[in-house]
Amino acid sequence: MKKYALYPGCVMPTEQYAYELSIRETFPLLDIELIDLEGFSCCGEPMKSVNQLMTLYLSARTLAIGEKQDLDLFVPCPMCHLALSECKRVLSSDSDMMKRINDMLATEDLCYGSTNDIVHTVDILYDVIGIDEIKQHVKKFLEGLKVATHYGCHLIRPSEIGRPVDSENPQKMEKILSALGAEPVDYAEKLDCCGAPILVNLPESALTKTGQKLVAVQEQGFDVFVDVCPWCHRMFDSKQVKAGETVASKLEVPVVYLTQLLGLALGVKKEKLGFDLNLSPVDKLKIGD
Amino acid sequence: MSNRIGVFVCHCGINIAATVDVEELTRYAADLDNVVVSKDYKYMCSDRGAKLIKKSIKENKLNSIVVACCSPRMHEHTFRGVVEDGGVNAFNLEIANIREHCSWVHEDKKRATQKAKALVRGAVAKARLLEPLERSKISVTPKALVVGGGISGIQASLDLAEEGFKVYLVEKSPSIGGRMAQLDKTFPTLDCSSCILTPKMMEVANHQNIELLTYSEIENVEGNIGSYKIQVKKKPRYVDLDKCTGCGDCVSACRLNNRISSEFDMGMGKRSAIYIPFPQAIPLKCTIDPEHCLLLTRGKCGTGPLCVEACEADAIDFKQKEEKIELDVGAMIVATGYDVLDMSTVYEYGYARYGDVITTLEMERLISSSGPTGGEILCPSNQEKPKSITFVMCVGSRDETACTWCCRIGCMSALKQVYLLREKLGDDVEINVCYTDVRSFGKGYEEFYRNIRGVKTNFFRGKPSEVRNSKDHLKMDVFDTITNKLFEMNTDMVVLVPALVPRSDADELTRILHISQSGDGFYLEAHPKLRPMDTFTDGIFIAGCCQGPKDIQDSVAQASGAAARAANILSKKELEAEPLISVVDEDLCSGCGTCISVCSFNAIELVKEEDGKSHAKVIEGLCKGCGSCVGACPSGAMQQHGFKDKQILPMVEETI
Repeated sequence: MKKYALYPGCVMPTEQYAYELSIRETFPLLDIELIDLEGFSCCGEPMKSVNQLMTLYLSARTLAIGEKQDLDLFVPCPMCHLALSECKRVLSSDSDMMKRINDMLATEDLCYGSTNDIVHTVDILYDVIGIDEIKQHVKKFLEGLKVATHYGCHLIRPSEIGRPVDSENPQKMEKILSALGAEPVDYAEKLDCCGAPILVNLPESALTKTGQKLVAVQEQGFDVFVDVCPWCHRMFDSKQVKAGETVASKLEVPVVYLTQLLGLALGVKKEKLGFDLNLSPVDKLKIGD
Repeated sequence: MSNRIGVFVCHCGINIAATVDVEELTRYAADLDNVVVSKDYKYMCSDRGAKLIKKSIKENKLNSIVVACCSPRMHEHTFRGVVEDGGVNAFNLEIANIREHCSWVHEDKKRATQKAKALVRGAVAKARLLEPLERSKISVTPKALVVGGGISGIQASLDLAEEGFKVYLVEKSPSIGGRMAQLDKTFPTLDCSSCILTPKMMEVANHQNIELLTYSEIENVEGNIGSYKIQVKKKPRYVDLDKCTGCGDCVSACRLNNRISSEFDMGMGKRSAIYIPFPQAIPLKCTIDPEHCLLLTRGKCGTGPLCVEACEADAIDFKQKEEKIELDVGAMIVATGYDVLDMSTVYEYGYARYGDVITTLEMERLISSSGPTGGEILCPSNQEKPKSITFVMCVGSRDETACTWCCRIGCMSALKQVYLLREKLGDDVEINVCYTDVRSFGKGYEEFYRNIRGVKTNFFRGKPSEVRNSKDHLKMDVFDTITNKLFEMNTDMVVLVPALVPRSDADELTRILHISQSGDGFYLEAHPKLRPMDTFTDGIFIAGCCQGPKDIQDSVAQASGAAARAANILSKKELEAEPLISVVDEDLCSGCGTCISVCSFNAIELVKEEDGKSHAKVIEGLCKGCGSCVGACPSGAMQQHGFKDKQILPMVEETI
């Protein structure tokens, strides 16, 4: 059994509970032990444009807490994943900055040495556990389920930092879903933005992006829309009705986390996977009932 | 008697003199042991510099020379000639590189001068111990091998054959012709490609000095300049070349007729399992594709192979086996051409997803009147005429995530196709061109471009972000950086202009031939400006796109150049070999064979002595003087002329 420190970031513990619930339900079934990271803080990404040093410090602090327990970090939020990965990359190539950050960390008796790995949900499922192993644990194949995947921007870019999936043609989620028996189908709008980054400044434009993508998915007859980012999920799931109003369409697309579908395939009950927290019409999915 | 040394310091204009105090360096060298004379001059490689060296040799009875100048790769050869002219053995010369290793890489004049002194000190230390060496003779086989039967290989073969040398032209595929045979017209003159190529192919086939080996591959190369031994694998065609008349009856009889994707038509058309790649193929003979033929893959073809039944000449022979042929040649020209980048790796342009996204080479086959559609332009997905065609240039080229280089033919080939399409389809078809920069650099190219801009065509300076399908057409957004506007385009057909990349088996051939590749994977020339056709392996030359992307005119020019370079060698009865090779001290050698295991040129053998012991022996013609064996020898018995331990170690000691 491989151990990971679970770093939930801010959105999951405050509003996107379904993602965390489904992770905690499914991963132990696949021989992954999740350990809570005590004393973690914000990843720093939200204040990157204002104070880069603060961002680096906050990311390094979280990484150092994990390193102290000799644990790799499992970061389900792609934005946190990007912040931590960028911190690791900057500090391991800039020894002056590494020293400066470590001087700051020393007040808490922490030290970051860039030794632990940072992995995302997709990473663990595809690269650590592996497709064959997942297949062996499936109790209920999601047969005939036409799935549209959405990776979100932080998971694919910028590729120089090293992201879990390819930036132009990401396929790991597709392979995982195929292993679960579902039918992921390529669609032209796959890499389109969810709109979240401009939600605060230009809410109408943001919701237009969200709506346009969901309209395309609905028109192409997908059964379900799967994502792995709490920010994207907030747009596509929680704000689906509003997004539909913005683009003058009635949207009825079931939006779920990859880990929620995984849970269903592994035979976990719907209520344990947080399906009652999804605001999109997930009842249309007749699996696990 | 110890050597009498002369030191000659070059200013190289200000290349060296600006950073190194050359006068001080010259004075310093004069005081070193055994140095009889020390002089400086503005350009030592000039005629007056050479005279200065020769005069000093005579006046001071010098027998060992140190020149402090640029890299030995630049001028060692020059100065060898100078000292030899002056009456000193050419190998009693040592170069101290105070340009690339000193002046060009430093700024602080004082410290640079100090470093230059150390380099000269070391060179003088070695010069004290240099010994005269003699060049041995190598005999030359007056025959050449040309690898690759595209336009470059054809041109090089014809040139050499005309000079009177026997040429073996080895081509991997069933016919010569290469990429040029696939083209409809050529830019900028719009000559019909096959009209100008076919006569040359015929000439190759009929030339008494050329032996054509198609459907064959180079397997192994041994030997050295003047006498290479080549092993060629002749793949079985399962057709007797002497009997086959090229009538094509078997082709239409084949059970798989029109069912196999044609390589020549870039997958746009179909062929059968027994096939002639294109109507003008040389040799015009059939070949059975062993990967598809039912009899060869399954051991059974219906009630019996229909090709055998159809063949009146009784030419089909399923018992044919692979043949190995040995060739002796004095020089080689490699002209293996290019591949186009696999467009499915540039995922965003939808080549892997949408049938109507094609490449320029595929479009070329659609335009060609001998192509799969007989020259009609039809969308592959529905076989309908497109109302709008969009070209996307530089796909994968000039792109840091794929190929950093320019493909050099993309702009012009796309412009040519625009012209041909306009001619075929008339004015009511919309043609868009999305370009990065139009590079119309060759003779007559800019004029051609200007003409096309006059033809009703929309030019956008920008790359589309991606290609998507939308019901019955393809759509894309492109930001035009000239008008600063975002355009949303709908189009029926997208033509990608792909990056040119080295052949997929380029690495393999590099290994067989012991030549080098540059970082991009193309074969590396010995000097980018002054030896563009040579490789670092003597007697092997490169021509055409295997050295880097180029158009037909440049390929032909380079091929003729390479042929002339090869003829330089083939026209001599014998060549002089560099004596800087390894030599064994037989008394010290225990015959352990370590040197043999590290030698990449098979230049060392074990020789049995009378008392049953054995020792290593260097085969002089094969040794390239790389020094690997010297480093590997545990007893110090292996030494390299000009780089002996007793010469190198004092040099190191003095330098540091």
